Amino acid sequence: MNHRSIVKIAAALAFALAATAAAAHAQLEKAAPAVGSTVASPAEIRLKFSEGVEPRFSSIALSSESGAAAPLGAPSLDPADDSVLIAKVVKALAPGVYTVTWRAVSVDTHKTQGSFDFTVKP
Amino acid sequence: MTTLSLRAMAAALVGASAALGLSPAFAHAVCGDRIFPATLGIDDPGVGDELALPTLTYLPQNAGGSQEFDATFSWTKTVFPGFGLSVQDGPTWQRPGGYGWDSLDTEAKYNILCIPDFEFMASVGTTVIWGNTGAGTQIQPFNVYQPVLDAGLGFGGLPKSLNILRPLAVTAELSESVPGQSWTNASPNPTTLNWGFTVQYSLPYYNSHVAEIDNDFFKRLIPVTEFTFSKPISNDAPGAGQTTGAIQPGAIYMADTWQFALEAIVPINSASGHGVGVVGELHFFLDDIFPDTLGKPIFTWGQP
Repeated sequence: MNHRSIVKIAAALAFALAATAAAAHAQLEKAAPAVGSTVASPAEIRLKFSEGVEPRFSSIALSSESGAAAPLGAPSLDPADDSVLIAKVVKALAPGVYTVTWRAVSVDTHKTQGSFDFTVKP
Repeated sequence: MTTLSLRAMAAALVGASAALGLSPAFAHAVCGDRIFPATLGIDDPGVGDELALPTLTYLPQNAGGSQEFDATFSWTKTVFPGFGLSVQDGPTWQRPGGYGWDSLDTEAKYNILCIPDFEFMASVGTTVIWGNTGAGTQIQPFNVYQPVLDAGLGFGGLPKSLNILRPLAVTAELSESVPGQSWTNASPNPTTLNWGFTVQYSLPYYNSHVAEIDNDFFKRLIPVTEFTFSKPISNDAPGAGQTTGAIQPGAIYMADTWQFALEAIVPINSASGHGVGVVGELHFFLDDIFPDTLGKPIFTWGQP
């Protein structure tokens, strides 16, 4: 097999793979409140993933610096975007540092998880 | 069938799988919050359905004094979750030297450990380089057997006061290459000890755990430096027992279903070669591209 043949096979395979509808591991791309940001007490936690997620098997939890859980509503999808998971903040948050812990199951059942902090300003 | 009922069916399937403790699709190297990318100098600590095609390497002057160009591929198929078989092969051009086709390289690898809270995972494997499967300059008349240990550790467990260091990760590999034949044409075939490690700084991890990166390219980039070494430990020719190796600084761009890595190859001494080479690899995550067919384990039991 010569060099040109290998390049042709690689290009054909790359094209075939690129043309295939695929889902992947849902990675957190963007959040509101933003990762590491300082904000006023938010009305909701909004997580934008790289892939569509399954809300029934995904979760968002919020805790204060002391570890106390801050109540959130059940996670749901943005009706316009199945890669955005939203949980309503039930009660206004007191100033301080909060940790968002999430687990996501993408629509092809791959699981991912993560956490980040944001600060509620006085 | 409506979109709603399709979604309901997918949800039901996920729920049933979760209830049965099954993993319908096994991830590539994911442990806890950490995703370890595929690296070029050493293997990553995970086992997943993946295809590296092509891996292109250029060395201006290899250890033998020749200019070298390699084009290889590697395919890993999971048999059951955490256990995979891989094949690797491809051609080599050397000047002077000429053309050759590498001996077939196969590996059986098992992911023995993942501790999510410590972002630590480890795998063990056995590689066999099959004799008499190469051609041209790459003909080798005997098998080489190579037990391999791979491990990876993310620094995400560091305290939040050290947030800037939490995207760091290290991976390492240790192996021993044992030839199936001690002598060939009155020349000794040495047993060699191989080791290496990588230092990675994951900007995807930074973006999702430390602070948001407002740039779509950089939030998917993982700067990495790899270090690979090899040393004959027995049956080596007189004067040939020197440690050889390379330092490979570069970066990995990780998309959802593929990644591209590009690294320089800097030999550590004159016995390892001369000049700065380069290696690039396009790598596909088949578990993400074909989650229900080619990318899932043949058997779904045995989740580690």
